[in-house]
Amino acid sequence: MISCRDFRAGFTAATADPKMLEHVRGCDLCLDHAAAIDPDIVFRAIGGGELVPPGGVDAFVDDVMRQVRVRSAANVVNVPSRFSWRKLSAAAAMAAGVTGAALVYHYERGTRVIPPPVTDRPAVVANLTTKPVVETYESENATIVEVPASEPGGAQVVMIFDESLPSDL
Amino acid sequence: MTRRLLFALMALALISGTAFADAADAGKALSVRTFQFKFKEADKAAVVIKPLVSGEGSMAIQPSSNSLVVTDHPDNLKAIAAALQQYDAPARNVRLSVRLVGASRVDPSIAVEPGAELKDIATELSLLRFNSFERLGETELQGKEGEPGLLDLASGYRAEFKFGEYDPASDTIRLNDFRLSRLQNDQLVPLYKATLNLKLGRTVIVGATKPQGQRALMIVVVAKR
Repeated sequence: MISCRDFRAGFTAATADPKMLEHVRGCDLCLDHAAAIDPDIVFRAIGGGELVPPGGVDAFVDDVMRQVRVRSAANVVNVPSRFSWRKLSAAAAMAAGVTGAALVYHYERGTRVIPPPVTDRPAVVANLTTKPVVETYESENATIVEVPASEPGGAQVVMIFDESLPSDL
Repeated sequence: MTRRLLFALMALALISGTAFADAADAGKALSVRTFQFKFKEADKAAVVIKPLVSGEGSMAIQPSSNSLVVTDHPDNLKAIAAALQQYDAPARNVRLSVRLVGASRVDPSIAVEPGAELKDIATELSLLRFNSFERLGETELQGKEGEPGLLDLASGYRAEFKFGEYDPASDTIRLNDFRLSRLQNDQLVPLYKATLNLKLGRTVIVGATKPQGQRALMIVVVAKR
């Protein structure tokens, strides 16, 4: 086996010298030095140029290409779809639901606006407003005093003080 | 996928927000109802419900169809609808019970307190400055809305009037052109003319006197259906 000094002195790119290759296989430092000059030295050192895959090179290449096609097909299947019918249908259903609810709501609001017929259901309406007992009085010289009832629902007293009335009423 | 989900959520929030905003405004919104009348006139109905219409409400009379279009808040419309339902009815029967009472301020030694026939209104009469009361007469009268009425109250007093329309909003019946007269020397002398609103079932005492007068005439009336 040659020395490291001889190896580095005699090493040339693409060398196939068996002594050189033997030295490279046994000296990592010189392998690094040689790889800096000729990267292929690594494969030549391990005898890559002489290796033949089982079944021959053609069979090996066919196998590799088949694997490449299978991987490509798998990638095609697994590529995340930018267009999903399932998602689209779910979104459409959600939008239809919300829109439908909104339409129903507005429709119901609309029906309140439509004038319905006056129904015959009984209704109690009283005491919503109050009116004066004496609404009009035909005299300019009169003062009308409405006395509040002493109790709820009690008798209501209204006094008319009119100068034009006779004194012997 | 995240972006699409976010977009969907934003759209949902937008639509829901609109719906909730509308729901919040629903209570403040105005509604419109049309009321058509069978028995009463729309213009008179408008007068009846006028006190019930809010400041934001309005109404329009359609004489051709004898109907009234009212715009107001839904709660108000309910009350208005109920009032109009009661209002739009055939002429109602009304019964008046009338008592005529003479009141005077006299020396306490000769004062006459209200008798048993006036016991129900003794408290109210005691509020007045008169201390002596005398029942002059009483009568009853049955009539219908729109019909004339005549009360012959004895002691020479007479009241003529016309039954007005029942107002469901105030639960009152109106007596239009209520003319009180007194017979003197075979002639009817008018005393006063007024328009009265009588709440159904409630006793109303309408007294008339000169200011600082020592005598008064009280008409005690109860209107019933």
